[in-house]
Amino acid sequence: MPSTRDFRKAEHLPNLRPGKQPADPDELPRQRNGVTPQMHGRYPDYNVLDEASHWDEVTRRVVLERVESTPEIRFFTHPEVLTLGAFCDVVMAQDREPKIPVLNMVDAKLFAGQLDGFRFAGMPDDRETWRLAAKGLDAVARQHGCTDFASASDEVQHKIVDAFHQGELRGEVWDEINPKRAWSVLMRSVLSAFYSHPWAWNEIGFGGPAYPRGYARLGRGQRESWEGGPAFERDPVKDTHARGVEGAE
Amino acid sequence: MSLHGLRTLARGALRPPENDSAFLLDVHRRAVPRERMARYDDAYAVDLVIVGAGAGGGTLAQRLARRGWKVVVLESGPFWDPDEDWVSDEAGSHKLYWTDARVTGGEDPVELGKNNSGHGVGGSMVHYAGYCPRFHPSDFEVRTRDGVGEDWPISYRDLKPHYERLELELPVAGDYWPWGDPHRYPHGPHPIAGGADIAREGARRLGIEVRVGPVGITNGSFGNRPHCIYRGFCLQACKVNAKASPLVTHIPDAIEHGAEIRANCMVTAVEIDDSSGRITGVRYIHDEVERFQHADAVAVAGYSIETPRLLLNSTSRRYPHGLANNNDQVGRCVMVQGAPQVAGRFPDELRMYKAPPPEISSEQFYETDPARGFARGFSIQTVGPLPIEWAQHVMADGHWGRALREYMRDYNHWYTLGILSELLPLPENRVTVDSEVTDQNGIPVARMEYTQCENDRKNIAFAKQTLHDIWEAAGAQDVLEIDRYAHLVGGCRMGVDPERSVVDSDHRAWGIPNLFIADGSVMPTQGSANPALTIMALASRLADRLAGGRLDAHAAIARRSSGRRRTAPSPPSAPHRPAPAGSRTDES
Repeated sequence: MPSTRDFRKAEHLPNLRPGKQPADPDELPRQRNGVTPQMHGRYPDYNVLDEASHWDEVTRRVVLERVESTPEIRFFTHPEVLTLGAFCDVVMAQDREPKIPVLNMVDAKLFAGQLDGFRFAGMPDDRETWRLAAKGLDAVARQHGCTDFASASDEVQHKIVDAFHQGELRGEVWDEINPKRAWSVLMRSVLSAFYSHPWAWNEIGFGGPAYPRGYARLGRGQRESWEGGPAFERDPVKDTHARGVEGAE
Repeated sequence: MSLHGLRTLARGALRPPENDSAFLLDVHRRAVPRERMARYDDAYAVDLVIVGAGAGGGTLAQRLARRGWKVVVLESGPFWDPDEDWVSDEAGSHKLYWTDARVTGGEDPVELGKNNSGHGVGGSMVHYAGYCPRFHPSDFEVRTRDGVGEDWPISYRDLKPHYERLELELPVAGDYWPWGDPHRYPHGPHPIAGGADIAREGARRLGIEVRVGPVGITNGSFGNRPHCIYRGFCLQACKVNAKASPLVTHIPDAIEHGAEIRANCMVTAVEIDDSSGRITGVRYIHDEVERFQHADAVAVAGYSIETPRLLLNSTSRRYPHGLANNNDQVGRCVMVQGAPQVAGRFPDELRMYKAPPPEISSEQFYETDPARGFARGFSIQTVGPLPIEWAQHVMADGHWGRALREYMRDYNHWYTLGILSELLPLPENRVTVDSEVTDQNGIPVARMEYTQCENDRKNIAFAKQTLHDIWEAAGAQDVLEIDRYAHLVGGCRMGVDPERSVVDSDHRAWGIPNLFIADGSVMPTQGSANPALTIMALASRLADRLAGGRLDAHAAIARRSSGRRRTAPSPPSAPHRPAPAGSRTDES
């Protein structure tokens, strides 16, 4: 069961914790309305998709498409999918279903040639960078005595990703492309995919599309009537009415 | 009633002179009406072709169309319909940026394509935050005052009347402005959100003055543009038509006065007649077909990357190394502003996704203070990153995996301050073309080299520390920091010496009588102000110079004053304009 957490305090934030290690997210409440990645979050009764009827039609189409259909893999090869899928899971801490299909979303963008308008000097096209990174992650996994990145233990995967993040990967592919730049290319796409998904908005309590309704309550500690409140403002036993679960078992 | 009382009463009711754009828009749909837009034939030599429909090109088109010039604006991107093309969504707004390939290098490479690029009618102002500060008088003489950078060939006084006029046209909303040349704004300050309130309190405790605004966002309805709805998606383009961009502030009036805005037209070369040394027109691609628009004069307004690229790709016998580049100046001294951000965490929910990101700002650190150990300064502004931007911010502070998810879940407790540091113009910071990388049309793409100097690094470090100090004074529980850049100017700077500049004080390319540059690339320095308003003011001044006949080498002026008739098909006259025979009707 969730321990009592007071989010007015900041004790849960990694920078303020020993070793900068975050707390186990399973201590957070389970999502009760709608979906969050891995079903935990701080706004368990808030589902941004409940608001879809308030969005303009063009936006609604674009956002709902993301939830309703997972694009098929068309750009990456099967071995690349295994490696990069594992990479996306580690960097976004998606250790179980439901997962936001990050790699499929990235794949669709790369397949369509939707790039970001620049490449770093000395780096190939972003599409090539992704493929090289897949090779490079497997190569580093072999340096750790594993057959490839996807089959490496959690511990090894974390070690490799941490080194990647620090720009400290060496050997083979990583002598050809700058790992820091490659990290930036991959993560820009990964974060764009993950945080464009309404499930992620549920998890963080983001209001989502706001046209044509707009916002009226801008002040400190204020929220619109439809915006989700954090779970810990309520007593988990006595709040059945507020949560709309009256009559539930 | 006191003068102050009268001014307050008039707020929002003032109609800008000689610009009906806000009144030409439709009340019930956001798209710019263009059923009656003029169409010119490619073979007809129009008075002026403008390349790019952004802050510079849009303003120049409106001003000169008003003065009876036959103007065609060629824009590489689409003619946006805010209702149909724009979404209230971060990832869905990718198409607002210049996403063709570019290469970025140097020791401190600048990420291109997003916050510093535009694509489509309205340019990058379509997705800018909305800050519209003026430059300070000191910006025009930094070499004389501070011994760094370069003096401009014009002064603040040259731009001041244009600043005032544009502030009425956008219109700009904000507090009375005590910095630089003190002035007031036509619309009053917008309400600010809780986070900005906390930041203001922190700043006050340190003796740092802040003011609300200045933003090009209507506060109250303005013509047929409605009040802002505090939706917070300013960077994803304003679906409301409340935020100013040339698309709503100048293009409607330009169209009404006979300008043609030809969208989806990628200009690939500006052509020169090698014998006369005059520009004859521009080569462009529309629907995969190459065309040539004849013109008496050309104004390039493609911004600091595409303008140098276009000139460098326009080679001829006279200009084998690129148009206007015989002194090797094109592309040099391109600048960005240092724009690190520091976010602060507070016990209350602040939900920074609400309200326009530009809320308050301070220009207290704008001028040189020798005690700080570097020349020039910075300004402080608010920014309101939406989830994807916020994730980038969290990652930049060193977090991924579970830690990143934890900070993301904490989103609603954060608020973000940003810096604009004035970085200095350096000749080695340059836009060139990379012959090894070409775009879908086979045209070599731009390559940008960028490396900071010592003064730049000191400025950014000091500015960042100031943000940390403000959050500490405000009682922030935790802070997260990201290093980044914003804006682009320079690359084709104006000056008094052809050896050290690309254009003269009239924006005319040295040695080419009918080629002008009308965008932010002409700026010799950048101050620590957002450049949009100044780019518009420069274009507005250029229009005055051109229309007033002060640039006597311009063929159209000479011809008009001599009363000679054209041999080309007669263009239609405003306001009723059936398309001339044989003209293009493929506007899309």
